[in-house]
Amino acid sequence: METAHVGSQPTVGPGPVLSSAVTVRNLSKGFSKPGTDTHFTVLDDISLSVEEGKFVSIVGPSGCGKSTLLNIIAGIEPYDGGSVEVSPRRGTPTHEPRIGYVFQSPRLLNWLTVAGNIEFALEAQNVPRPQWRERITRQLAMVGLGGQERNYPLKLSGGMQQRVAIARALAIEPDILLMDEPFSHLDAITARKMRFDLMDILAKAKPTILFVTHDLAEAVFLSDRIYMMKINPARIFREVAIDCPRPRKPEDPGLLDLEKDLVREFFGVLEGTRR
Amino acid sequence: MTSVKRSETRIPPGLATLVLALLAWEALSLFFPPVIFPGPWTLLERMVAIYSDPASYAVIGQTLLRIFEGFAISMLAGTAFGIVMGLKRDVEIFFDTWIMVLLTVPAVCWAFLSVLWFGISDAAPILTIVLIVFPFVVINIWEGTKAMDKELLEMGSVYRADRRLMFRKVIIPQLMPYIFSSLRIALSLSWKIALVAEAFGAGNGIGQELINWFQDTRVDMMLAWGVSFMIVMVLIDLLAFRLWARRVFAWRPQLAT
Amino acid sequence: MTSSVHSVGLRTGSVVALLLLWWIAAKLMHDPDVLPSPAAIAVTIAQDFVDPGPTGHSATFHVALTLARIFAAFAASMLAGIAIGLAMGRNRVVEGALLAVIPLMLTMPTILMVFLAVMWFGFSEAGGLIAVMAVVTPYVAVNIFEGAKAMDKSLIDMGVAFKAQHSLLIRKVYLPQLMPYIFSAFRYAFGMTWKIVALAETFGLKFGIGYMFFFWFEQFNMVQVLAWIVMFVVLMLVLEHGLFARLESRAFAWRGAIAH
Repeated sequence: METAHVGSQPTVGPGPVLSSAVTVRNLSKGFSKPGTDTHFTVLDDISLSVEEGKFVSIVGPSGCGKSTLLNIIAGIEPYDGGSVEVSPRRGTPTHEPRIGYVFQSPRLLNWLTVAGNIEFALEAQNVPRPQWRERITRQLAMVGLGGQERNYPLKLSGGMQQRVAIARALAIEPDILLMDEPFSHLDAITARKMRFDLMDILAKAKPTILFVTHDLAEAVFLSDRIYMMKINPARIFREVAIDCPRPRKPEDPGLLDLEKDLVREFFGVLEGTRR
Repeated sequence: MTSVKRSETRIPPGLATLVLALLAWEALSLFFPPVIFPGPWTLLERMVAIYSDPASYAVIGQTLLRIFEGFAISMLAGTAFGIVMGLKRDVEIFFDTWIMVLLTVPAVCWAFLSVLWFGISDAAPILTIVLIVFPFVVINIWEGTKAMDKELLEMGSVYRADRRLMFRKVIIPQLMPYIFSSLRIALSLSWKIALVAEAFGAGNGIGQELINWFQDTRVDMMLAWGVSFMIVMVLIDLLAFRLWARRVFAWRPQLAT
Repeated sequence: MTSSVHSVGLRTGSVVALLLLWWIAAKLMHDPDVLPSPAAIAVTIAQDFVDPGPTGHSATFHVALTLARIFAAFAASMLAGIAIGLAMGRNRVVEGALLAVIPLMLTMPTILMVFLAVMWFGFSEAGGLIAVMAVVTPYVAVNIFEGAKAMDKSLIDMGVAFKAQHSLLIRKVYLPQLMPYIFSAFRYAFGMTWKIVALAETFGLKFGIGYMFFFWFEQFNMVQVLAWIVMFVVLMLVLEHGLFARLESRAFAWRGAIAH
């Protein structure tokens, strides 16, 4: 793995050993069309890891591989080979891994209020009722929706609905927060604001995030590490660490340079002009 | 003197047509004896006669009770079965032929069979109602279950919601429009079938009144019973469902049906 | 392939299970007055087709008669309904007049309609026909009315601008746009029609399947009642699923890839 340095600060020493929240080893998944002999591989020998408190992105073209990978990690889709391990946060007693998931569309229950939607997740995760109120208020404040508890989702804008989805995911105090192209359905201006707000949340709550996107620039701006992926079948071909202190500015020249190099490489491999 | 232009009072067109229709009806009826072709006034007189007689209420009560029982059984069993059919593909494939066959048998046939099985009783009309309304409800709810947003179910899975929670907060709310329309159709069907069923073998009830007057060739009495009952059922439909719908669907941005 | 073999298997299994259940129940009951065995029914059906029986006519006659009534009533109701629906769509006065009356007719219970038709028009073919039309025509009219309202006015204006003859307009512009509405009314109308014909035959018409239901019902002859019900149900299933499924795919060829 290469480390791309941005800015003047080199990495110092080996650093503390961070525990891995998610470890995926040699994951594979195939799909057979019933009644025919065709069998195609969706995921081919995927290995990745996400350390606790870090933001890791997977960048690749839109297609079934990336979402399938997240679904497998989330435990709602089966896989054929390899292993997936989600560990509880350090310092918490062993429990079933708590998975927070923010999808491309908010996937809110429109007949429940904003608070009701978060309560759904809390109830599902068996969080004791007395804690609900406090968690809801805290998370809504964190995503900038303080006071919106009693509104219904259909009265909110797309960006606000997505914030509720983020609040819902964070409210359960997840061991891993999975995000599947969460800003791709929003307009560019809203999406940009959401990224900044996500940076703020990172600073305050320090969640562990596995983020999937087709937008390399977005990944570079947000992540500590990037995995580049090509699809059909899905395979990781590059891993890059982004070593730039936060808060980051998207127009930072160092960041833009890095992005340029990575873009060349990324599309080069995808378009077959590079290996 | 300044003259103020007065806005014309507009009579709603529907009301005007209705009044004209009533007048036309009354005029037409003058050409026939009231027992063959009663006018609106005669009909009103007959209805008043019926409803001022306390014995009538026993008859009406009988019919209402049977309707309610048939309707309730059909809704409960139909909804449960419809949900299972929508969620489990194998159950769906296995039973869809049975449901189709049930739907194809005309009400009158079930009415006959029920009487042959249970004789002149309460059970016969109730069974008839269930045999007809149950498949309708199943199909409606089945369709609704299949139309559910799979993404929401997936979201619930990710957060590890258990079966009960999924039903309460994800499945049933999505089914509400279908449950609602089923309730309306089921009730509407139930009372119409109750009449047919009672005509053949209940011994009493409004359906029995209808066939008795039919056999006596008394159109006026038959219509008086029939039309008044129709009005009652339509009122129930309007009041119960419109009012209830407003509350259940308050979360929608525009006013629901 | 495997999954459709699976479903065919399940479906056959379902029909077999039904017959089996029936056969077992019949055995347990021991009483042909409550539940005759499938075999007894089959035999009776065969006999009814061969033997003229107490009415002097074999099942072939009755079935043919009922079918004739169904098709005649259905055709009449569809044509009347389409004509009325179109008229309502194109003329506000007609719309206003009928819109007050139609909901009333739609709410009236079928049995009341049948009784009225028979009482006013006698125990005759006319009575039966009118009973069906009174129930089915309003339904078709409302459906076609919706379709007429939804028609693309610009296409009609285009036709008029090219000075198309009325009949050409109807054939090539109106009808294709109305087809989905006609078709959805079609299936439901057909379903309603044969149920009402069955009811009308029970109460007032001479001969036909419904007449036979009632005849054997009065005699408490369970085997015959069930035999005639089975005949009717099988016939209707064949018609509804065989005929209509085929017609539907042909009629909508022009829609191309648009899913039904």
